[in-house]
Amino acid sequence: MVSKLLVVEDLWKFIDGKPVLRGVTFDVNEGETKVILGPSGAGKSTLLRCINLLIMPDRGKIVFDGEDVLRKRDIHSIRSKIGFVFQHFNLFSHMTALENVTLGLTKVKKLSKHEAEKKAKEALIAVGITEELWNKYPAQLSGGQQQRVAIARALAMEPKLILFDEPTSALDPELIWEVLNVMEKLAKAKMTMIVVTHEIGFAMRVANEVLFLDNGVILERGAPEQVILSPCNERVRRFMDRMKYVYNVDKGYAH
Amino acid sequence: MWQSFTPYIPIILSAISNTLMLAFFSFGIATALGILMAFIEVFATKTLSIVVDWIARVLRGVPLILSIFLVFYGLPSIGLVLPPLCAAILGIAIVDAGYQEQIFRSAIKAVSTRQLEAAYSLGLTRAEAFLYVVLPQSFRIALPSWINDFTIVLKDTSIAYAIGVVEVFTQAVHVAQVIMDYMWPLVFVSVIYLAICYPLSILSNNIHSKLKSMGMLGSGV
Repeated sequence: MVSKLLVVEDLWKFIDGKPVLRGVTFDVNEGETKVILGPSGAGKSTLLRCINLLIMPDRGKIVFDGEDVLRKRDIHSIRSKIGFVFQHFNLFSHMTALENVTLGLTKVKKLSKHEAEKKAKEALIAVGITEELWNKYPAQLSGGQQQRVAIARALAMEPKLILFDEPTSALDPELIWEVLNVMEKLAKAKMTMIVVTHEIGFAMRVANEVLFLDNGVILERGAPEQVILSPCNERVRRFMDRMKYVYNVDKGYAH
Repeated sequence: MWQSFTPYIPIILSAISNTLMLAFFSFGIATALGILMAFIEVFATKTLSIVVDWIARVLRGVPLILSIFLVFYGLPSIGLVLPPLCAAILGIAIVDAGYQEQIFRSAIKAVSTRQLEAAYSLGLTRAEAFLYVVLPQSFRIALPSWINDFTIVLKDTSIAYAIGVVEVFTQAVHVAQVIMDYMWPLVFVSVIYLAICYPLSILSNNIHSKLKSMGMLGSGV
C-alpha cells in the first residue's frame, strides 16, 4: 500500500510583507522522489525550509507522517525525522567528518558513543566516504566529499524524508556527479526525497514527479518527461528551453 | 651610563610578579564580565541587551587613569577602601571588560547562521545548538583577539604607577630617579613587556591563520 508521508496544503509565507509562497499544495508518497524546479527566487528554498520548520509558514497545513506539524509543540522531534542537505553543505567546521555525523546520533537520538560511531561509519561508507577521510575536518575535504558527508549526516539519523536544497549548485562540475550518484542510489533504495535542483538530467532519471515553482506558486506538475520536455505552460516552456540548451538534454534522453 | 644601571636590574625584575598579578587578575575578571555581558546581549530580551550594550560602551569610553583613580580615590567616599594593588586590578578590569564584551559578542555572532540551521535540522534544541556548535566555534574565533587583548592589558598595568603600585614600570622610574638616568631603566622595562607580548602575538597570529584555513572566519552568512 502506498501511503502519503507528507501533505502540504495551501501553504503561504510572507517575508518582509512580500508573498514568497502563495498557496502551495502537494503531497509526497513514501518511497517517492519529488524534484522541484524553478528560477531563483521562486520560493523553492523557502518551501523546503517550511517543511522542516526552519522557517515558520504563515498559513496552510503540513501533515508529516500523520502528524499536523504546525500544531505540534515539539518541532525538534519532527526535524529529527526529516533530513536536510544544504546548498553550502553546512558541515560543522570545528568537527571532523565522523563527529559531524555522530553529533545528532548522540545528542538527539541519545545513542552511546560506540553505537553512534558504528552507525555513522555505516552511513559514511554508504555515501562512499572511506576510512582515511573520517578524521578530516570539512576544510580538508573537497566540495563533493563535504556534501557526501552532509548526506551521511542526514542519512545516519534514519529520517523518513530527506530534503535537498540545491545540493550540487555550489560544486565544481566535475564533483556534481559523485553527489548525484549517491542521491540516485538513495532514490533507488526507496528513500523518500524532495530535491530542489537545476539538474534536469537527474530529474529525468530519478523523479517520480516534477513540480515547477515560480513566484510562489506551482505552475506545472507531472511526470519528468512531460514537465521538462513538453510543458503546457508558456513560462515553463521558456525556462526548460534554456535549461535544455545549458544541459544539452533533448527528447530521447530518458530511457 | 648603563654600567651604573646594571646593579639595579634585580630590583626591577623583582616587580615582575606584581606586574603579572595585575595583568592576570584584571584580565581574568574582565573575561568573566565580558563573557557575561556578551551572553546577556545575545540571549536576553531586547531591552536588557540594549542596557548591557550601553554599559559596555560607557566602560570602553572611560580613560584607564580615570577608572583607576575612581576606584582608588573615589570609592573610599562611599566607604570602600581598597589597597592600591586591588584598586588597580579592579580599575583595569572594568574598562577591559567593555572591550572583551565586544570580542566575545562578535565571536558569537560570527558563527554563521548556516551552522545553526544545520544543527536545528538534526533536531537539536536551541540550547544544544549553542552548546555544541556555536560556543565551541565562537571560543575558537575569539581566541586570537582575546590573546591580543591580554597583551594590551599587560602594558596597561603600567598605569598602576599612578596610585603607587610597585610593578616593573614603577620600579624602573624609581631606579631612574636614583641613578638620575631614565634611558636604560626604561629601555630595560620595555624589553620585559616585549618579551612577554611578542610570543603571545605570534601565537595569536598562528591561531588566526589556522582558523582561516578551517573556514571559520568566513563571511558570517
